[in-house]
Amino acid sequence: MTALKRLMADWYRDLSEGEGPVVYLPVGGNVAELPRACGFRVFFPEVNALQCALRKVAGEFILRAEEQGYSPDVCGYVKSDMGLAASGGSGPFGTIPKPDILLCTTSGCSTTLKWFEALAGIHEAPLFVLDVPSVRDGAADPHALRYVVRQVEELASVLEKIGRRKPSRDRLAETLERSRQAEDLWMEILDSARAKPSPFDAFFEAVFFMAPITVLRGTPECVEYYRAAREEVRGRVAEPERRRIVVDGPPPWPHFRAFRDLFKRWGARCVASTYVRVGGDWDEGFRHDPSRPFESMAEFAARCYTNRSLPARRAILEREIRRFDADALVIHSVRSCRPYSVGQACLRVRDVPTLFLESDLADPRHFNEGEMRTRVDAFFEVAR
Amino acid sequence: MFVLGIDLGSRACHAVLADGEGRIAERSFLPAAADLHATARRALESFGLRRDEIQYVAATGFGRGQVRFRDLAITEITCHARAARALLPDASCVLDIGARNARAIRTCADGRTLGFRVGDRCAAGGGRLLERAARALDLPLDEIGPVSLRAQDPVAVSSVCAVLAESEIVRHVTDGRAVEDILMGLHLSVASRAAALVRQLGADGDVALTGGVARNAGMVAALERKLGLPVRTSPDSEYAGAIGAALLALKRLRILDHDPRVRLS
Repeated sequence: MTALKRLMADWYRDLSEGEGPVVYLPVGGNVAELPRACGFRVFFPEVNALQCALRKVAGEFILRAEEQGYSPDVCGYVKSDMGLAASGGSGPFGTIPKPDILLCTTSGCSTTLKWFEALAGIHEAPLFVLDVPSVRDGAADPHALRYVVRQVEELASVLEKIGRRKPSRDRLAETLERSRQAEDLWMEILDSARAKPSPFDAFFEAVFFMAPITVLRGTPECVEYYRAAREEVRGRVAEPERRRIVVDGPPPWPHFRAFRDLFKRWGARCVASTYVRVGGDWDEGFRHDPSRPFESMAEFAARCYTNRSLPARRAILEREIRRFDADALVIHSVRSCRPYSVGQACLRVRDVPTLFLESDLADPRHFNEGEMRTRVDAFFEVAR
Repeated sequence: MFVLGIDLGSRACHAVLADGEGRIAERSFLPAAADLHATARRALESFGLRRDEIQYVAATGFGRGQVRFRDLAITEITCHARAARALLPDASCVLDIGARNARAIRTCADGRTLGFRVGDRCAAGGGRLLERAARALDLPLDEIGPVSLRAQDPVAVSSVCAVLAESEIVRHVTDGRAVEDILMGLHLSVASRAAALVRQLGADGDVALTGGVARNAGMVAALERKLGLPVRTSPDSEYAGAIGAALLALKRLRILDHDPRVRLS
């Protein structure tokens, strides 16, 4: 955890004090390797909003955004970020640099496009939209991939102009190779939860472990972090577990500890979760590939979790329940997040006890601990 | 020997004392005060017994964690399921409408829970809305049900919020609508939210109505209309949480007698 805190602190420090052009990216299905190879510093408004929620300052920013007219139903991350911008861009982690370009991929979340449009207006910076068709149930359609690849090629020349550095083939290949290595290691860590008892919690721990693959993918620090993390997890003696659960949805960040403890007191260990793969589709075998640089980035963008249909998402949950031998499914629905939550109630898996909970990922007002405790307790009382 | 089941809700505290056969010996009802533990204490004292004269205490309801003299805390979902099968054995689905919200539970014949759905956090789905309506219309709470049954043309109450629903009531009053039509409109509004929970569980037989709202004949009629299913109540429906807790306390006591190594949770 200390190594992780240091990595995140370094990321923020480089953003506020470092040099070089800055690109804003979404988390889901981004093509971070390309701007990174062109010497850009990479910033993720979602990750920053998440950090604000975790540090319990998002509530203030959300109120600030609502003062500007944002509705209570708008995404908590967006409002946290808009409130931050209205407060001069200075948060608990220093001042966030203005973007030289915003690069929005449409596969992760449809709201992000409007969010990035608003940010582009505030910062008077260009917005590049990477339009990614839905892959629905199966593998990405070859025509759709060619369409994305052409846009990535166009993006390369745009980045070259702004960054004043040509993305050399070698540098990009090196970045992609590091992404691949980190992805292999990350999957190895997540797979360790197949052991009984599991030495690793694939949700309550993994949501922190996933930070480097999200913000530093393609860097040597990221590979190094996962190598050390894998060794640490390998060396663990697993604590006893009473329940093995699979979790769908992000956690309520402002109340993370209270939420985690609701499950901990029942001895529930999360063995697989969808949120930790929301950035990329690694568990279905995807890896960035230096020999197919643009193609693999396009594929990564297309295959992200929220770009899938509901039946495809249910199939993923069913597979994870079987693969990790889980005995219950927990769906945490996020009030202000449409791409993740719409239709989530239909993801109940037949013959698997399913608990459906609702709060928010950033807005602390949507979390009612008493109500939630009753649901969690009743759920495990039934299963006892 | 006696066991105590205590249901400490957000508006009221129900407690029952049961004997070793699970028969209800005494009931106690108190309005809940801000000091939940003190309310629970007063409920215990109302039976004229000391704590050490009761073999086992199970607490349920919103304030269950505040009953410091309990042996066991159980959620109201598990308790209502258990009690409903004892009170109304033919109903395989329980609808508990409390002050704050509603819960639908599917049960098996021995009272264990098969599945449940809980209404969202807003009081528009609970009895508290009816209390507010009674106050706004200047009627005793016990009369709003019977009055609503005289409705000829119920008004539409569209609001999803208990506070806004109250302002809707005021608007209907100023529009000159009959009190019984306003009240039935309100009952149907609460019933439609509760019915959605029952339908999510795929209930197709008798529905047992528990919780304080079960005393309200207008709500029973509104629910039957919204559900198209028979809705059954028992004179003990409002004590269901406490009865379920007492029955589960007895069950736990039997397990403990049989095997003293069983740990309390």
